[in-house]
Amino acid sequence: MSYADSNAHHEEGSYFSGPPGMLAKIWQWMTTVDHKKIGVMYLFAIMFMFFIGGVAALAVRYELLDPVRTVQMMDASGEEMTIVTGERLAGLKDIMNARSANEVYNRMFTLHGAVMVFMFIVPSVPASLGNFFLPIMLGAKDVAFPRLNLLSWYIYVTGCLFGVLSILMGGVDTGWTFYTPYSTTTDADHWRVVLMILAAFILGFSSILTGMNFVVSVHKLRAPGMGWFDMPLFLWGVYATSIIQVLATPVIGITLLLLVFERLFHIGIFDPSMGGDPVLYQHFFWFYSHPVVYVMILPAMGIISELIAVHSRKHIFGYRAIAFSSLGIAGVSFLVWGHHIFTAMGELAAILFSGLTFLVAIPTAIKVFNWLATLYKGSIAINTPMLYALAFLFTFSIGGLTGLPLATLATDLHLHDTYYVVAHFHYVMMGGTVVAFMGGIHHWWPKMFGKMYNEKGGMLGCILVFVGFNITFFTQFFLGTQGMPRRYANYVDEFQTLHQISTYGSWIILLGFLVHLGVFIASLISGEKADQNPWGGLTLEWETESPPIEHNFHHEPVVTHGPYDFDKVVPPGWDPKDYPLPANPSSHS
Amino acid sequence: MNMPLLASTNMSFLQRIFFGNHGASEAAAWSDGLFMMIFWFSAVCFVILMALMVIFVVKYRRKPGVAAQPSPHHNLNLEILWTVVPSASMLVMFVLGFEGYAMKMVAPDSAMELKVDAWKWAWKVTYPNGASSPETKYISFDDNMLALEAGEADALIETMGLEYPIFYVPEDTAVKLRMHSQDVIHSFWIPEFRTKMDVMPNRYTGYGFQTPKLKSTDMVLDQTTMLDIPGRDMWIFCAEYCGDEHSRMAATLRIVPQEIYEAKIKEWGTPKDPIELGKTIHKTMCAICHSVDGSPGTGPTWKSGNGYGFGYDAALADGTTAPRDANYLRESILDPNAKVVAGYVPAMPSFQGQLSDVEIDGLIAYMQSLSDLGPNQEETNEETPEAADTAGSESP
Amino acid sequence: MQTTLDADTTPAPAHIANHPLHWRNRGYAHHFKSRDEDFDSSKFGMWLFLTTEVLLFAGIFCGYAVFRMLYPEAWSNGSHYLDWRFGAANTVVLLISSWTVASAVRCAQLNKQKWLQINLVITLLCAALFVFIKIQFEYIPKLGEGKAPGTFFSYAYAQNPYEVLWWSLYYMGTGIHALHVLIGASLLAWVLFRSWKYQAYGPTEYLMVENSALYWHLVDLVWIFLFPLLYLIH
Ligand code: HEA
Ligand code: HEA
Ligand code: HEC
Ligand code: CUA
Ligand SMILES: [Cu+2]
Repeated sequence: MSYADSNAHHEEGSYFSGPPGMLAKIWQWMTTVDHKKIGVMYLFAIMFMFFIGGVAALAVRYELLDPVRTVQMMDASGEEMTIVTGERLAGLKDIMNARSANEVYNRMFTLHGAVMVFMFIVPSVPASLGNFFLPIMLGAKDVAFPRLNLLSWYIYVTGCLFGVLSILMGGVDTGWTFYTPYSTTTDADHWRVVLMILAAFILGFSSILTGMNFVVSVHKLRAPGMGWFDMPLFLWGVYATSIIQVLATPVIGITLLLLVFERLFHIGIFDPSMGGDPVLYQHFFWFYSHPVVYVMILPAMGIISELIAVHSRKHIFGYRAIAFSSLGIAGVSFLVWGHHIFTAMGELAAILFSGLTFLVAIPTAIKVFNWLATLYKGSIAINTPMLYALAFLFTFSIGGLTGLPLATLATDLHLHDTYYVVAHFHYVMMGGTVVAFMGGIHHWWPKMFGKMYNEKGGMLGCILVFVGFNITFFTQFFLGTQGMPRRYANYVDEFQTLHQISTYGSWIILLGFLVHLGVFIASLISGEKADQNPWGGLTLEWETESPPIEHNFHHEPVVTHGPYDFDKVVPPGWDPKDYPLPANPSSHS
Repeated sequence: MNMPLLASTNMSFLQRIFFGNHGASEAAAWSDGLFMMIFWFSAVCFVILMALMVIFVVKYRRKPGVAAQPSPHHNLNLEILWTVVPSASMLVMFVLGFEGYAMKMVAPDSAMELKVDAWKWAWKVTYPNGASSPETKYISFDDNMLALEAGEADALIETMGLEYPIFYVPEDTAVKLRMHSQDVIHSFWIPEFRTKMDVMPNRYTGYGFQTPKLKSTDMVLDQTTMLDIPGRDMWIFCAEYCGDEHSRMAATLRIVPQEIYEAKIKEWGTPKDPIELGKTIHKTMCAICHSVDGSPGTGPTWKSGNGYGFGYDAALADGTTAPRDANYLRESILDPNAKVVAGYVPAMPSFQGQLSDVEIDGLIAYMQSLSDLGPNQEETNEETPEAADTAGSESP
Repeated sequence: MQTTLDADTTPAPAHIANHPLHWRNRGYAHHFKSRDEDFDSSKFGMWLFLTTEVLLFAGIFCGYAVFRMLYPEAWSNGSHYLDWRFGAANTVVLLISSWTVASAVRCAQLNKQKWLQINLVITLLCAALFVFIKIQFEYIPKLGEGKAPGTFFSYAYAQNPYEVLWWSLYYMGTGIHALHVLIGASLLAWVLFRSWKYQAYGPTEYLMVENSALYWHLVDLVWIFLFPLLYLIH
């Protein structure tokens, strides 16, 4: 950190422009404390992990194209023999050093789950878009602790390296939940499981540091004139998320530490054969991992609030309700972890957790209604960010509503650990967070990289992802209710048709993301230069250049209007001629 | 909400799509009804919301030069409405869910208690008289599979797929389960009763269900007599991830008339020829890991050849060898990790307490009968523990 | 909280007066608007961090509570194996060190450079004493008797099969705590070093002293919970 003297000279170029020379540039990026560069570095690292997780997902779906059958028959010489059909991943057996094709499958879904959760989705929005835009939207020059910010990027990368190392050594087959005693006994003579657990442990620190940084920044670095309720809703989402990260992550830290000791030294805390309790592990695990699903969704909801308001040029409906519901969700999320283990706990606890779980759905429902009300009488643009926002409303509502039968005790006893749950959480994680993330990336792409993307290409990608996604996962609701358990490499014949449809859907998703990838690369290479404020946003990031200058703003911004006063203010960088204001703006604040 | 309403016997078309078949008990049908109720509630909410969304997007799409129209930034009445309505409806779901949960968990005191044991990767059900089921059934691949193999004209399809144990229970009876696991956590799920519960290594868990009355059309194939008998089969799945063969940790629950049930368990309770006994135990408990035809699995095959099989020396992981005699086999069953066969991981659960001496002897006799080195099968037709010892000393 | 220069009356020694690390020459990080903002942010951040530390130990305490409920026998036996006198001695040691570290902060604020260093030295000595007692009188004898965690447990006279769990939690709890003692002591040693070398702390710049002291108080606080739970409650 440089001190007061550096206040004097201001570097005025874009944050992009670095010293000449490749090495010098790389060195500058690797040692930067600029939140924008760190945000971009996160974005790339995270997208890479998404790609790895996605490849594993495709492998999972590929194996499930058909059930595995063990058939005994006589060969020509009358000798009895056993043949196995449909083990599509069997070819990976030797590469992955696995005993059976089933084990390959088990490792695949574990990698998929662990990579997607710990390395992709938890850091996704806050660490990339959050890092880039939180200080700018606050009107600050940086986050509160810039060096800590860089440190957490390095910790993140270290964690990912541990994970990738474990994958390269063959991978683990514990499931992303690492339930004991299975996780402490499987593959006992290998380091892979320990490496993967340590990866999650290390990533936790990165998460904690980012969270702390954001909480302090929001408290202390708001621009003059920006009260709590003048903050953009994206920041409310990130703020609520950060609180969860700070409060929940230490618990998974100690849990994973105990798990590592359990595995290495058999300390017995989670080991039933020594009197330990595996259900205690599950409680510890979900005490973190339930709140963490709101870590995933809250920033995504923040993005949606921005997208819907900006692209329909409407003041967000019920600002305070949305802001408070973020905090409400964060608060209640700590009380409902037990709904993941209804089938492992006593009656009383089950009833309690079921009741509390419904509480968490209320603030979420409120948000959905507010977003819809915002669209009312708006001036709705149809572009990629808006399409993604609408897709979010569609898929996230399905995901959330299908959470209700899971929270209901009687029905969860049937649906628990089936494809119904798989479908539920993909609808909220993929259909919620990933969809919002993609929307956010498109929305802020011009600001981050100073280039426009191809709108038609973006919309095509969005539609492909949306269609493919629904084909892949809507079928899984039926699989689940009909009795298909999750984490199954082989299944009963009657499920085959639905599984096949689901697999074909996953290929459409892949196609969609490849289109996006192409659009992004094309934009970076030859995109049209972006204006300062292409969408007409009113939050502070649109008051600076695209891409922002090194210190974000030429002058410290002073907040004079609310983030959503679209009916009163001509957005910065716009000519009043191009931005008609309504004749009589509403008088409400 | 009263029960008959939710447990309506007229399944809607959608309910059939969701659940395929009717819930097998009243509690199951009731929870299906509850699911459908939540589904319809959600569907209505969802359709209204999406309809509004589409209408707004079409009606208020951006037109050049036209500003967004002003509208209030909030509306207290509306906000109260959309807080209270979801809250109230969720309260209903919660209460009904709790009610249905009680129906699924609680079994009358008079219920017949079955003991369920689980390990990687098989189920075992012990009946009140101490017997357990030796019968198995092939996973049903039917015609589909036959067509696939039809190309290989002469290939005689003798048997298909793995065999899964069949657990018999009488019709129209209250059953409760007392479940325990030998190793990791499993979960005992009978989709048709819409209930699962985790099976723990350090505590008993359980639930109850009322078996349905059989319809006159319910017929199944009795595997021992190859005759059709009245009955109804249901899947049992393991729903908690437990390792390599998690997806094949299945079994069949067979609902049969009381007389058949009683005849069956009486028959299983009486002593049997040890090789037959060993064979059935293998099928129901060991086949998931040990083949008897030489094909590879999680554990070594029991067929002789290539260094495997009774009487041949076992190459151990620590580099030594051990003769596969009866004592070695007994130890391998009770304390599997004491001597680990080279090329395998110590994945086998201990069957200490799970298998009686008679059963272990039966298993050893069966393994012996599979070996080309073992003595003639007739010689081992004894039921005393000494039999195994004698047999052991005879082997090279 | 005092962040103005008023308290500064004594002149700095000539050879370090212009040293960039000397507290008089300190500015604030460029992205803050003022020195106060910088100071407040850092302290707020520290408090958040301490919260995460408390939650980390909360896991251990939860485990303790659960197993105490499951196996009261074993837990009662377990606490009888511990000698409360060593625990109490360590409690006193930590309390003294907490007091001296608090004085160190005060001395920094008042620009009493020598006393700042003396207080820090005493604190560090206490830390060393704590670790010494822990290892010499607690860990070594116990491990020698086979009262070790998990599979290393080989104590022949255990009366309850679950005592091994007690020892596992004992070593996890006190071990992680001891690790925190070492981290805290390293922080304080760093502060001492910079104070000694550059007189880096004074009325306008005592953040590092204060944050390290806060950390040290946390270490103390955790022990205040561990001590009765492990040693006193039977
Ligand atoms: C982004 C992540 C995310 C989010 C936001 C949610 C949101 C919710 N989840 Fe989900 N959940 C997961 C990720 C998530 N979940 C994951 C990863 C798992 C499985 C983990 C594993 O086992 O591997 C899981 C599993 C899971 C279970 C355990 C299932 C089982 O294993 O048996 C339960 C049970 O209660 C549950 C419930 C809920 C509920 C009630 C919500 C609520 O918050 C939803 C609220 C939203 C709505 C209600 C919809 C929007 C509102 C409207 C459209 C308005 C109309 C609504 C009403 C009138 C009510 N979830
Ligand atoms: C963020 C969370 C996330 C996401 C996004 C996904 C995405 C997908 N998941 Fe899921 N999944 C989980 C989290 C997630 N998953 C978790 C936690 C589990 C539980 C694991 C367990 O049981 O332990 C699970 C389990 C799971 C199962 C169940 C396995 C089983 O129980 O046996 C299945 C099966 O169909 C599945 C499929 C898929 C598919 C097809 C996608 C697809 O949507 C993936 C699409 C992505 C791609 C195809 C990658 C393409 C990317 C690029 C080409 C790069 C492009 C780059 C830019 C655009 C910049 N997943
Ligand atoms: C989880 C899978 C699994 C199940 C179920 C299982 N075994 Fe095993 N078994 C193994 C493995 C793995 C080995 C090899 C490692 C070892 O020796 O411990 C083995 C080894 C053996 C051996 C020694 C074999 C040899 O060739 O030397 C015997 C005998 C044996 N099992 C008997 C049984 C019997 C009897 C049962 C059923 C009652 C059974 N096993 C069920 C996994 C299993
Ligand atoms: Cu047993 Cu899964
Ligand atoms: Cu949850």
